[in-house]
Amino acid sequence: MSSPLILLPGDSVPSEYLPSSNSSAPLRLGPGLRLLSQPPSSSSSKTSTGHVLAATQSGILTTDPKRNAVSLLSTPNRRYVPTSNDLVIAQVHHSSPDYFHCLITPQTPQVVLGQLSFEGATKKTRPMLKQGDLVYARVLSTGLGAGAEVELTCVNPATGRAEPGGLGPLTGGMVFDVSTGMAARLMRASSSSAENQESVDGLVVLDELGKKLEKVGGFEIAVGRNGKVWVDCANGGDSAIKATVAIGRCLSAIDEHTLSLADQKKLVTRVLREMKIET
Amino acid sequence: MVGPTTSLTPLSRADGSASYQCPATGANILGSVNAPIELPGRRDALKPEDATVEVFIKPGTAPGGVGERYVEGIIKSMLGRLVLGREKSYARRGIVVTLAIVGGESKPRGDSYLTVLPALLQTSLLALLSASVPLSMTFSATVLGVNTLGEIIREPAPTDAAAATSLHVLAFSSKGHLLLNESRGSFDFDTWERIRQRALTICHGTLSGSPDGDVAMVEDVDGQPLEGVVRETVEDKYHQDYAWKIDAA
Repeated sequence: MSSPLILLPGDSVPSEYLPSSNSSAPLRLGPGLRLLSQPPSSSSSKTSTGHVLAATQSGILTTDPKRNAVSLLSTPNRRYVPTSNDLVIAQVHHSSPDYFHCLITPQTPQVVLGQLSFEGATKKTRPMLKQGDLVYARVLSTGLGAGAEVELTCVNPATGRAEPGGLGPLTGGMVFDVSTGMAARLMRASSSSAENQESVDGLVVLDELGKKLEKVGGFEIAVGRNGKVWVDCANGGDSAIKATVAIGRCLSAIDEHTLSLADQKKLVTRVLREMKIET
Repeated sequence: MVGPTTSLTPLSRADGSASYQCPATGANILGSVNAPIELPGRRDALKPEDATVEVFIKPGTAPGGVGERYVEGIIKSMLGRLVLGREKSYARRGIVVTLAIVGGESKPRGDSYLTVLPALLQTSLLALLSASVPLSMTFSATVLGVNTLGEIIREPAPTDAAAATSLHVLAFSSKGHLLLNESRGSFDFDTWERIRQRALTICHGTLSGSPDGDVAMVEDVDGQPLEGVVRETVEDKYHQDYAWKIDAA
């Protein structure tokens, strides 16, 4: 992908950019693309079926040959719109007999989180969350139409376990705001396997911080797709607060300025030195 | 011919925003789009399957009046045809476009908005693109004036616009459809046809129809076609935002 194909609404996807259809799976269309049966001009009638793929948003065309999928990468700083199975960091607003009412983005209606949808929760042992507490949760359903409630959960309903691990109340630590594009990058970077750790999605900041902050006891991090990053250095002792703030500063600096891998390493060193954290 | 200056997503809190500066007419517009958002009241019941487009225009110096409401109506009906309001999560939601006139010649009360209208339209398009609102196609708009000698002036300055016998705003979709035609003053059909040809050239470049029907965008005396300005702005933004991905590949 030397020069990426950037589409505007109404542009049709050239057939040579589509993944080669040697697999039997049908082509999957991601967000921002639609199938039109009527070719808009005579030039695209060369396709035998008379169908044409047209973009409805602007974005970079990306293809996944393994899943035989094609989608558009849209602007990275758009507002978060809840989608099923997204991991988010929610803040409890108030509690009612059956639900915790939480906020995932400040400007959207509250979402609900069942009082019993925690790992091992019963009426007696459920977590007592107060206003302002943070929860790492998965989006269970988004409902249909306007005014529908979004429901979160901290367990897999089939197994009753908190999977993927780490779902549940977040105690201590601090939350930083990043763009939704940055949050998606961080999630991909942290979930990918260890062998291609070098420059996953152009991010080395977490690895670099992990190496440098080993002396102060390491840190925990949870990334929500709604553009929130929770950081905690529980073992840090005296420098725990400094280290937490340093991590937040590094993440927001990389979010604001597009930094290369070498620049990210330099930034980590500089921020840690400014905060007077021993490495 | 100096082209317009544009920027995408200058505001961080809006879902999408754009600024647009046209050196010829002196218009300087800042636009923001919030979508999809919940509408207050029961306005959604009017169109249960479609999104509602709302447009607000804020003049730089005076509070909005009848003139602004009129232009809001023009822009709203044009954008309403381009926005795919039935896409997922857009039905019964609102798309709110706010356009602020932050610079340029202050208009006397009751003056027509024709000279600023193309800039307002271009800003709203860029802001919609920045907010990733689903659109069926893009468009470009321009204003042309005809002076007393019968000459066509592209994007007339405020003094030229005041002296012109007729003013015309035309918008073309990216596929070449005429989307909008607003005219003021006296003119005949031949003049209008010349205006249309010239506006099409400004928006799409000289049409060099190749045998397979492709329309190529070529630069000429009018400089870069406006369609290309929109595309270039968006491409620049993506190259900037996804530098980590594009450089790595």
